[in-house]
Amino acid sequence: MRHLSKTAARLFRRFWRGLREWCGDAAYETYLRSNGKQASPTCTLTPAEFYVEQLNRRYSKPNRCC
Amino acid sequence: MKRLFSIVIWLVVALLGAGAFAKIAFDRGESLNATWFVVAAVCCYLVAYRLYSAFVAAKVLALDDTRATPSERLDDGRDFVPTNKWVLFGHHFAAIAGPGPLVGPTLAAQFGYLPGTLWLIAGAAFAGCVQDFVILFCSIRRDGKSIGQMAREEVSERGGFIAQLAVLAIMTILLAVIGLVVVNALKSSPWATFTLAMTIPIALLLGLYLRFVRPGRVLEASVMGVALVLFVVVAGQWVADSPSWARVFTLSGVALAFAIIAYGFAASALPVWLLLAPRDYLSAFIKAGAIFSLAAGILIVRPQVLMPPLTRFIDGTGPVFAGKIFPFCFITIACGAISGFHSLISSGTTPKMILRESHARFIGYGAMLLESFVGVMAMVAACAMPPGVYFAINSPPSVVGNAGDAAASTISGWGYPLQAQTMTDLAHKVGEITLWNRAGGAPSLAVGMAQIFSSTIGGERLLSIWYHFAIMFEALFILTVLDAGTRVGRFMVQDLGGRFWKPFGRTRWMPGVLISSAIIVALWGYFLYQGVVDPLGGINSLWPLFGISNQLLAAVALVVATTILMKMGKLRWIWVTLLPMAWLVIITMTASYQKIFDANPRIGFLAYAKVLAAQIAAGRIPAEKVAETQRLIFNQRLDAAVTGVLAAMILVLIFEALVHWYSILSHRKESVLHESPYVATRWAADYSGAAHGDD
Repeated sequence: MRHLSKTAARLFRRFWRGLREWCGDAAYETYLRSNGKQASPTCTLTPAEFYVEQLNRRYSKPNRCC
Repeated sequence: MKRLFSIVIWLVVALLGAGAFAKIAFDRGESLNATWFVVAAVCCYLVAYRLYSAFVAAKVLALDDTRATPSERLDDGRDFVPTNKWVLFGHHFAAIAGPGPLVGPTLAAQFGYLPGTLWLIAGAAFAGCVQDFVILFCSIRRDGKSIGQMAREEVSERGGFIAQLAVLAIMTILLAVIGLVVVNALKSSPWATFTLAMTIPIALLLGLYLRFVRPGRVLEASVMGVALVLFVVVAGQWVADSPSWARVFTLSGVALAFAIIAYGFAASALPVWLLLAPRDYLSAFIKAGAIFSLAAGILIVRPQVLMPPLTRFIDGTGPVFAGKIFPFCFITIACGAISGFHSLISSGTTPKMILRESHARFIGYGAMLLESFVGVMAMVAACAMPPGVYFAINSPPSVVGNAGDAAASTISGWGYPLQAQTMTDLAHKVGEITLWNRAGGAPSLAVGMAQIFSSTIGGERLLSIWYHFAIMFEALFILTVLDAGTRVGRFMVQDLGGRFWKPFGRTRWMPGVLISSAIIVALWGYFLYQGVVDPLGGINSLWPLFGISNQLLAAVALVVATTILMKMGKLRWIWVTLLPMAWLVIITMTASYQKIFDANPRIGFLAYAKVLAAQIAAGRIPAEKVAETQRLIFNQRLDAAVTGVLAAMILVLIFEALVHWYSILSHRKESVLHESPYVATRWAADYSGAAHGDD
């Protein structure tokens, strides 16, 4: 029973993490962890700056199809 | 033993699929259960994925997991982000799944359920999935370069320029035609118009929340937004029931077209975080929810398919759009089987986020299979309603008349019994004033979805809520494609203009932003207006035009893929991309020729212009209508010219490619492959992106 609940909790954590990554909720955390960011720790963007910059980049090329 | 077991299992899956297909193809009973469609489609997808995609991955592309992907080498946390394959599958699917696989099969149902279903499944397995998979692979090997850049490097400079122009052209036609689908869905419907209009202030609210209150907290904002959207779906009924408010939100086609044009301009010129992005978040959640609900609804309700396998309209006299089954069934289905637009996504964000090369099979090939399944579900939803009702909703007034007994008798005369009272009752049940002449696919799909949903939850009592939920779902994500497409189109116009005058190319220079937004909106807005005032129903001319341009772009992508395979020394397997390319060239060139030159005025643009000109010359057009008719003549000639230019561009590209292939094969030219150099991965073999997470 305990094993089952552990498995369920692990699956739920994975699902939650996947959902956050899919919808962009975890984008800032991913950015902070990225190699590129760690190579230049002095110029870290704030969450608000990162959010706007990320959107400007994403919506400047085709990202939604017919 | 394990191998034998595997062979037996796959044999069973293949036989089950073949049996279900035989049932669909040869059943001539009263009606057919939709479960057969699901079984046939799923079994075919499983076999295609297990065998054909594995063959393409191993023999044709030789995917190499020891090679570092761009997301590993160039990881910057912004564009290049190593992403778990399931998450990236979701990203990729959300990006490629648009209104096309819903609207195309719904329109193609006028030929009966069989031709569309066959092409949706076979076309996806052998053409659409292959295109997405191969282009994704090519882009991964080139640091995520776009299809235009790859065409320029691997085929020719001119090839790249043609690909860029083709993208701009397809974008213009696409935005116009999806705008027309929304207009026809909202026309004279205060409930639907109110619901959709309210999504704008909701998106603005979300935009401000995400920008200033909780930056980047997409999930919590989306939950709030989806709750508000569901509330306005219900509140729309109160608006429709109030005579004064209903008048405010009851708009004509032309008024709606101008409202959509103004919206497109605003979405393109306003900061992206304010309107466009929050709408996209709302749309993504509702789209995912509605598609999975539709799949579950079909499995639970198992509706009967009432449309015959083939209708009398395979001869080209269809009321929804004119043209024979070949080539118009393929042109109309478009995205559900193969979409050129997908090559932009497969060479855009996805290759920059993929963890390893082998994931390209699951993401590129697999996501397209799922999109094809969405198309099959749309076909089932459209064919589950009585054919008479389907034709009443989708036929323009010029074919069946405006409404009532005369129209019902015309449709009954085709062999699809219908009574005018049936349409009145149905409109009343779904909370609409009328359902006659609502061409475009969205209302008939919404009726089909609402019938499936209400059979699962709520019964007839909730039919009107489900209908307007379905309309909101379709219109919301169509407008998301429209605003995102307008913005990308604006960047393309600025990029082109910047070559002649540098300041125009600066994306933050406000006059440049406003002028380029106005140019792109004017381009698609013109075609949209033309479609709205077209007496034959704009879908008849615009959807085939969209299908042609989309399939031509797919041909461009397959030309690039074939060239790259040739340069990789995979001449033996080149048929994998060459055959679908040849097929697309044949259907698009035939359709283009017929749309321009066919003598039937409902098919040929020039023939229709000629008929109208003859009517003016004979004095059969009233004086006050002459100017309008002359505008129609101009529009028909413009459509003919656009079709001709698109076809000519692709012929030039194919000629360039043929010359290039000949030079390579005859060793007159050195075959240079523009791949990034091999770098070995540093990630362990079982690394799945989990290091970026919390376990």
